[in-house]
Amino acid sequence: MTSVDARLAELASAVAAPGSDPGRLVAVVAWLAAPRRGPTALRRAVVAAHERGEADPDGVGLDAVLPAAGPTDRELRAAHDVLERWASLRCRVVLVDDPAYPTRLRADWPDRDAPPLLVLRGDLASDRPAVALVGARRASGYGTGVASWLAEGAAAAGVRVVSGGAVGIDAAAHRAAVEQPGGTTVVLGCGHGIGYPRGHAQPGGLFDRVVASGGAVISEQFPDQRPRAGVVRARNRLVAALTDVTVVVEGGERSGALLTAGAAAERSREVLAVPGDVRAPGSAAPHRLLAEGVFPCLGPQQLLEQVRTAVHGVVGWSVAASTSASTSASTSPSGALDDGAPTLPGISPALSTLPDDVHAHLSTVWPRPLRPDDLATATGRPAPQVLAAITRAQVSGELTVDTDGVRLRRAPAGRQDRG
Amino acid sequence: MNGAHGCLATVHGVALVGLEPRPVRVEASMSPGLPGLRLVGLPDAAVREAGERVRTALQRRGFAWPSERLVVNLAPADLPKAGSTFDLPLAIAILVATRQLRLADGDQPWACGELGLDGTVRATVGQLPTTVGARDLGAPRLLVPDAAAPEAALVPDIEVVPVADLTEVAAVLSGERPPRAAVPAEVVDPAVGAELADVRGQAIARRAAEIAAAGGHHLLLSGPPGCGKTMLAHRLHALLPPLTFDGAQEVAALHSLAGERAPDDPLSRRPPLREPHHSVSMAGLVGGGAGVPRPGELALAHRGLLLMDELLETPRPVLDALRQPLERGEVVLNRAHARVRYPCRIQLVAATNPCPCGHLGSGGARTCTCRPDRIDRYRARLSGPLLDRLDLQLELRPVDRDALAGPPDGEPTAVVARRVAAVRELATDRWGAGTRNADVDAADVRRTCGPNVLSALADALETLGASARAFDRVLRVARTVADLDGADRIGRPHVDEALAYRLPDASVAA
Ligand SMILES: [Zn+2]
Repeated sequence: MTSVDARLAELASAVAAPGSDPGRLVAVVAWLAAPRRGPTALRRAVVAAHERGEADPDGVGLDAVLPAAGPTDRELRAAHDVLERWASLRCRVVLVDDPAYPTRLRADWPDRDAPPLLVLRGDLASDRPAVALVGARRASGYGTGVASWLAEGAAAAGVRVVSGGAVGIDAAAHRAAVEQPGGTTVVLGCGHGIGYPRGHAQPGGLFDRVVASGGAVISEQFPDQRPRAGVVRARNRLVAALTDVTVVVEGGERSGALLTAGAAAERSREVLAVPGDVRAPGSAAPHRLLAEGVFPCLGPQQLLEQVRTAVHGVVGWSVAASTSASTSASTSPSGALDDGAPTLPGISPALSTLPDDVHAHLSTVWPRPLRPDDLATATGRPAPQVLAAITRAQVSGELTVDTDGVRLRRAPAGRQDRG
Repeated sequence: MNGAHGCLATVHGVALVGLEPRPVRVEASMSPGLPGLRLVGLPDAAVREAGERVRTALQRRGFAWPSERLVVNLAPADLPKAGSTFDLPLAIAILVATRQLRLADGDQPWACGELGLDGTVRATVGQLPTTVGARDLGAPRLLVPDAAAPEAALVPDIEVVPVADLTEVAAVLSGERPPRAAVPAEVVDPAVGAELADVRGQAIARRAAEIAAAGGHHLLLSGPPGCGKTMLAHRLHALLPPLTFDGAQEVAALHSLAGERAPDDPLSRRPPLREPHHSVSMAGLVGGGAGVPRPGELALAHRGLLLMDELLETPRPVLDALRQPLERGEVVLNRAHARVRYPCRIQLVAATNPCPCGHLGSGGARTCTCRPDRIDRYRARLSGPLLDRLDLQLELRPVDRDALAGPPDGEPTAVVARRVAAVRELATDRWGAGTRNADVDAADVRRTCGPNVLSALADALETLGASARAFDRVLRVARTVADLDGADRIGRPHVDEALAYRLPDASVAA
């Protein structure tokens, strides 16, 4: 580090993660910002340095690659632009040898494909058990319903939900987990400055809500990297690498979710697949995995068992009590695994605004939806009564209504032992 | 003007600007000079041709064509006079001017009709509104083509004289032969139409049809192909109360103008049902054509139902053209010579697929393959001022075979139609004759709400993320729901039910 001017130093300090060396951040960004370089090039250069015996076998190997004379002026100017952009987007950067760099990724550096740096907004909470919920943008009501169900159940028990930032399954998972203790992490398939997809990235949109509620939005890319296919594929492996269990909820024959599942398997992480409608194109990916011997995902309860098995002895964590499922501060790693089975928050019929028989029918099919017509037929109630009851329960937040029908928003109390 | 050889003859006709009648005076006189015919005040090519037609027709019937100069004036000059309905007044005026016909009562006759080259009198479109117009303009008696007499004779307070050809015209006007009496077309009440009980396993759809019919609410149906959107629309049509005589006559007049009914068709009290294809042109929908524009589908559905299938496939400009007529209850067509208005107090039933591929929410065998963002965009096309006019919005799903094969699970059309008629009467008592709940200003509906209902509705709309503009829509429907319930004041349950008739959010992932 010869001459880092004051402004650059100031920017680097603003952007560097706690415990990180701003000078080193400038050097790494300057190296990456040069033409024909990037995260993969840096990783390969480190691998080559190790092979040549030039790198410290116990270190991350960056010092062997970064020029001893420091970056050129041109590289510094490029680094300045990138850091300034990250600063304006309120991003923090975690380098591969920073204490905040996720433990799950560190083993992948440099021989597998861990990124040399992670750019994040919010709190990654990487010591929490984590589950990836992945699937297609083109999602069915069933797919998004199951994604919400699993995400809410997992996050309510203190597990971090991780997924991409796309519409469909990704968004359904984030939405369901966002206010829960476990929180949610969005892994972008582009830079932070791109604002894609627009609906989620706009001010006050899903990404802002994720960050505001204690979750994180992360990217391994420079701020203006567009969501090219290769970048999005790279994102999928990061989703798997950041988690203990990967669940493929829904996806077509060539869905990116299969890449995520493959990346998880390569790392010996558990993969689960959600069984779907055999006629639906969106069932192709999970069913292929099931045919290959992957366990079916049968519900939040079983998913939590899998997570517990995966993390036991690796990271100490406790299951958040279902009664304190309102604040994200309620999970503090206690160092011991709580033996009590995690429960899901539910509404008992006594608290429901719905007539008992209507509630009972919705509970029976939960989490599948019922059409209002079928509800009228099943209860023998006249259509006007059923419709009025649905509206009231929708206003009270107990029900959701979409094109597939009406369903209870939360697991009914009597259904906790399921799965 | 009165030449030595002839006299000034005046015959009256009726020009229609839309449904509005305007008097036309046909004046003929002889003047010395080279033989020939000069027509004044005739901008329309069809009337210009009338000269030749009248001349041939007169000669074929043994009348003489004058060897002097004949001047004929159609006044007022600035009125667009389209069509061949002035043939008969023209021929009569010429006969009188050339003293080949002496009018029995010395009066100025009223007549309408086209002449064939053989001298027969032929029917033209719009006989019904022409006759109504002649009466309203003060005609005591109107000569009409024989074939159109049943339609014309439906109009009370005017003597309708059917004439078959020019020979009969001359005989009747000279008093040689007594006029024949016209036999009015039959007035028929609608038989019970499509059977509501055939809509099985869809209690909510049947209920929505009942509310729509009772309140006159526009209805939006969303659902995959084969879920029974058209079927339901036909049932809703069958629930509508029969038209009054005046209403039926007004409807027939519009259909007559458009050439959509034969002059001897019976007069039906059944409200019209129009089902234009989604590729309908702007002119086809709002009206158009050369000269005075003809009524389009909107006017033809006046006092009845307009069913627009595949609404989202309809081009945007055509959709936008729907809005004002829906709000005003009339179509206004501006032309160079005149502004034409047609009434169109219609009930719109709009049907659409739930998503571009059509299978969203079909359950069963077909699965939606649309990306959620595409679905959002598709549905966004429905938003805006037009959607705000569609009081009732209903998501329809295909019914499984068991329900279709099973016994009817709902009431028959006749039973529901009686409730519909009762609510229409209530509305007439409350708001005035012919006013339905859907026509009422929202402020008036608000005054019929029970305590705390308005604030509860505002809260619910806010929680459900519905647009504030839905407020009045929901209230109007709630009024009808309350009426069906026999309740004077709108209560919470009525609002809660009314709130359920809106399309769900496009997708969870939106
Ligand atoms: Zn679709």
